[in-house]
Amino acid sequence: MERRLSELNPGESGIISRIEGRGEERRKLLDMGLVRGTRITVVRRAPLGDPIELLVKGYNLSLRLDEAEGVYVKPV
Amino acid sequence: MKEIEVALIGNPNVGKSLIFNNLTGGRAHVGNWPGKTVEKKEGRCIHKGVTMRIIDLPGVYSLTAASIDELIARNYIVEERPDVVVDIVDASNLERNLYLTLQLLELEANLVIALNKSDIAEGLGYEIDVKGLSELLGVPVVPTIATVKVGMEELKDAIVEASKRGVKARVRYREDIEELIERIGNILKRDENLTKKYPARWLAIKIIEGDKEVMRLIEERGLMGELREVIG
Repeated sequence: MERRLSELNPGESGIISRIEGRGEERRKLLDMGLVRGTRITVVRRAPLGDPIELLVKGYNLSLRLDEAEGVYVKPV
Repeated sequence: MKEIEVALIGNPNVGKSLIFNNLTGGRAHVGNWPGKTVEKKEGRCIHKGVTMRIIDLPGVYSLTAASIDELIARNYIVEERPDVVVDIVDASNLERNLYLTLQLLELEANLVIALNKSDIAEGLGYEIDVKGLSELLGVPVVPTIATVKVGMEELKDAIVEASKRGVKARVRYREDIEELIERIGNILKRDENLTKKYPARWLAIKIIEGDKEVMRLIEERGLMGELREVIG
């Protein structure tokens, strides 16, 4: 079952299945290593839930919630 | 005496400045990139009778031309064609760092990889097959620990060697993509002034990606019409 990355709780992981959007925003996400097939873990959330900290390709990445919304993951 | 131009590039926080200081002895000419408020550092290093002019490029994760730093780094490599580009890679975070390496290979830069923070990688229990990495990428790889100046002589050797040899490595994609690259490349090659300045293959790859800067360039050269027939 596919879920949005923005809906994952801290500690949960998923495999990126697709990235919505186009143009520069999508390109930037791809540049940061968010590509299909990549395993991604939500490390923690900021107090108000935005931004979220992720572990991807061995490094920590912080994304705004609206950026994470376009990223879809499947369970590991 | 022979003088060569060497550009240093790498992701932020890979120890690039430290390597720059180790190579130049800390003597740098500091200025700005023309028209930009981004610092430009330049120094010199003499090794085995070769003078290296060393240029420190901004730390970037990618060469997409999304930020001013990326654009400066990319334009420098494309337009100035330095003799050697030293890609400083964080050995403790290889996967992340090799993305920039791939983009540099696409740019047909004459690469030497400095595998920095080798000590940290080792501390994390990573065993990197340096020879295997070098063979896979087709470029020399030199393990370094910039904080304690380990690997600096080897790095200088590799730079001088590479400057004599020229570019060898390139990235090959899937067959259908290679075909498209070739078809686009053939159109671009009709504009000699363009392909004298930029590698046709690199332009073709960027056109497939829809890179904004390259698309603008293509538009300027009036090649858009012909390209549309190929890329739709």
